[in-house]
Amino acid sequence: MYADICQLLNIQYPIIQGAMAWISDSSLVSAVSNGGGLGVLATGHLDGEGCRAEIRRIRELTDKPFAVNIMLLSQFADDIAQVVCEEHVPIVTTGAGSPGKFMPAFKEAGIIVLPVAPSVAIAKRMEKDGADAVIAEGCESGGHVGKITTMCLVPQVVDALHIPVIAAGGIADGRGMAACRMLGASGYQIGTRFLVAKECTVHPNYKARVIKAKDIDTTTTGQSTGHPVRVIRNRLAREFEALEKRAASAEELDALGRGALRRAVKDGDMDYGSVMCGQIAGLVTKEQPAKEILEDLYQDYLRVMSETTK
Amino acid sequence: MNFEKIRDIIAEQTGKDAEEITMETSVKDDLEADSLDLFQIINDIEDEFDIKIEDVENIKTVGDVVKLVDELSQK
Ligand SMILES: Cc1cc2nc3c(=O)[nH]c(=O)nc-3n(C[C@H](O)[C@H](O)[C@H](O)COP(=O)(O)O)c2cc1C
Repeated sequence: MYADICQLLNIQYPIIQGAMAWISDSSLVSAVSNGGGLGVLATGHLDGEGCRAEIRRIRELTDKPFAVNIMLLSQFADDIAQVVCEEHVPIVTTGAGSPGKFMPAFKEAGIIVLPVAPSVAIAKRMEKDGADAVIAEGCESGGHVGKITTMCLVPQVVDALHIPVIAAGGIADGRGMAACRMLGASGYQIGTRFLVAKECTVHPNYKARVIKAKDIDTTTTGQSTGHPVRVIRNRLAREFEALEKRAASAEELDALGRGALRRAVKDGDMDYGSVMCGQIAGLVTKEQPAKEILEDLYQDYLRVMSETTK
Repeated sequence: MNFEKIRDIIAEQTGKDAEEITMETSVKDDLEADSLDLFQIINDIEDEFDIKIEDVENIKTVGDVVKLVDELSQK
């Protein structure tokens, strides 16, 4: 059941920094990879050439493995898939859909593929498509979410597949990692805690908001559109909820949501920006260099494991 | 023939009456199926017919699914 994810990905710690749209750029990615984890470049807001430039910048900043995330819904998904092959990126993670049609090209280029799956059926499909491992992501996560919690999803995906499973959603310390280990996970993908990494270029207001967040501060909006997103429950989220309650049209919802992530990430608008983060934000209390976060996580994990298995 | 089997799988996953489901039924608008439902349905159909369906993203109606299954199960 357990696989050596460090060996598969050629990294020191079994920890993946989840892609974060508009946020996980060459700065955060290279810091995480240099720190011994796997940095993942988000590309949802980039076109093919923008992605190529970021890949080259990462390579100037680190000689360690890193990954590129492809949002399959993005209008540039085809271009980005091509760039990733041309640039010999070692690892790809995918979100929002099935990477099936790109699989032959990825395999040809020797790329390791780690799709994100929010349900057993989708995880099984990814395995059939030739994924090397699957990232089972629970709805505690920040950003686009499914409906099943990490606690319930991970063991069910582990039982259904023959390839390694990486757990995501709600992990921010060694206890969370150890818990997912018990559920059968071989690796851990973490987003929210890396939002406050020193090298993360998100607006300081965003970091401060995540650090201040309590357990009940997030909500999911967009249930009615079929693409729910976990965000901090700010003015924008409350207006969204009100619109959804009176069954507003998709166009109205779209108009309210347009550009909202950019407003939060770049302008630091904590009222009308989309402040995506996970339910575990309450556990995130300080800004730290990525390397220190990775060391903390792993040492804490080892401590918890040795104390509980005594 | 395939249609009836597919219709029953869809009815079971979406909680709709089988009689309501036709070739023209829209997966998203009429069945109110989200992507979790759709992939579950596809998974169950693949197991039932022992096939593998590509291009799930392009499926709009029940008829689209039936057409894909007809093509694949002939091979
Ligand atoms: C601000 C933000 C943006 C995200 N953007 C993406 C994305 O573009 N692509 C993706 O596959 N996952 C995205 N995610 C999900 C993360 O990669 C990761 O799986 C998730 O954050 C893990 O849960 P956690 O936040 O509880 O650690 C995003 C998460 C956050 C918080």
